Amino acid sequence: MTLADPMIKLEGIHKRFGALEVLKGVDLDVGRGEVVCILGPSGSGKSTFLRCVNLLEPPEQGNIYIEGNDICKGPGSGTGEQSWKLDFVRQRVGIVFQQFNLFPHKTALQNVTLAQEKVLGRSGQEARAKATQLLERVGLGDKLDQYPERLSGGQQQRVAIARALAMDPHVMLFDEVTSALDPELVKEVLDTMRELAEEGMTMIVVTHEIGFAREVADRVIFMDQGVIVEEGPPAEVLESPKEERTKQFLGLVLDR
Amino acid sequence: MSEFFHQYFDFTIMGDHFSEVLEGFFKNLLLFAVVVLLALMWGLILALIRQLPGKKFAPLRFLTIAYIDVLRAIPILIILLLISGGIPYLNFIPKDIRIPHWFGQPDPFWYSVLGLTMVYGAYMAEVYRAGIEAVPGGQFEAARSLGMSYGKAMRHVVVPQAVTKIPAPMLNEMISLLKDTTLASVVALGEAVLVSREILAETFNSSAVILAGVMFLVITLPAARLVDVLIKRNQAKVTRGAHIEVG
Repeated sequence: MTLADPMIKLEGIHKRFGALEVLKGVDLDVGRGEVVCILGPSGSGKSTFLRCVNLLEPPEQGNIYIEGNDICKGPGSGTGEQSWKLDFVRQRVGIVFQQFNLFPHKTALQNVTLAQEKVLGRSGQEARAKATQLLERVGLGDKLDQYPERLSGGQQQRVAIARALAMDPHVMLFDEVTSALDPELVKEVLDTMRELAEEGMTMIVVTHEIGFAREVADRVIFMDQGVIVEEGPPAEVLESPKEERTKQFLGLVLDR
Repeated sequence: MSEFFHQYFDFTIMGDHFSEVLEGFFKNLLLFAVVVLLALMWGLILALIRQLPGKKFAPLRFLTIAYIDVLRAIPILIILLLISGGIPYLNFIPKDIRIPHWFGQPDPFWYSVLGLTMVYGAYMAEVYRAGIEAVPGGQFEAARSLGMSYGKAMRHVVVPQAVTKIPAPMLNEMISLLKDTTLASVVALGEAVLVSREILAETFNSSAVILAGVMFLVITLPAARLVDVLIKRNQAKVTRGAHIEVG
């Protein structure tokens, strides 16, 4: 699927860890304001693919364009030595992790202000105002001065979302953000993400939450063994998948 | 038996020479204080260089690892002898530097500062490294994905967490250092051991040496207890953290 003016365009992404080829040539266009959910069994390469988008795992081969800008500095695809415009990517792409990765030595508020001050150069006052506003928006206005170890998993994950949003990203990546949560805490995080989608944020979401994908995604992608097997609107892929592997996977997940 | 007590615990001799030995011990403490400050910094610098990523820094990493390994592997006495018995004769170095008398301290003091800092920087670099490696990789990734450079991620996220994980092993290094300040006696710094050894040579009685040992005990014994407390407290923290993560 190709879009006229994609927010993010990935072409022929290859990634291997030693002898294991995790991504075998993945293409993806994501439009402005689009919400793309990536599903797939563990080991399918979906998290690695997501981490390629913001270069936490730089791909060995392939091209990445963000808002039309080629983010490879050279010497070019497939050389294994290409360097990337890290700052350009990290200023535009935010990520939320499965394990939250909040800074344990900082309060919720400080988690959200730190990079604003040290990376964007905002004043302490400015950063605090922005952080307070974001933490209120994710329902944590009363937890500003709490340290992460005092927060539940769901609350920690919402702080992590606020922390990423504080950098004014154009795209947000979510890497199985509810997988480490107790069941009763999943909803509060998904609700926060749903609101974000409604406000028009461009989002790529790796998830096992089929219900969330059905409701919120504009497009669902099914990955297996390092390639995209099937993609399309959620109604199509989730209700009447064409590929055998997709059917199998959905059968296993939905039968629980 | 009384002969034994007289040889080691003659309180008259201890009393007569108390202030001399104490004055020497203050030199140990002063040497310790200066070296701790310098070695804590030098060790952190070494640890950070050792952690630098990428091919570009491979030679620097290699040199640092070689430095750390070699200095930990040879006796401190040899280092001190190479410094105090060599640097004064290197005439291409300005005299104020090769025979330093800064801040009213004699040159043996500064040779000891240099030698002990070089060695304890290497020891402490290993302690810092353990702390840095104990910080989960996700912390560094989170900092980097928020746009922080390698340096900023280390400075604001990794190192502040690393140092909270190492007070106990660092305090152990400090205890060793305080004891190793006595090695300065071989470069003729008039610290507690040198002073008490001279008294031993004059009186053929060991009581002044015992006295010096007791002065060290007064500091190092409570410090060793403190290490235990820190270890226990840290263990409690770790189990508590694990508990939260599980459920």
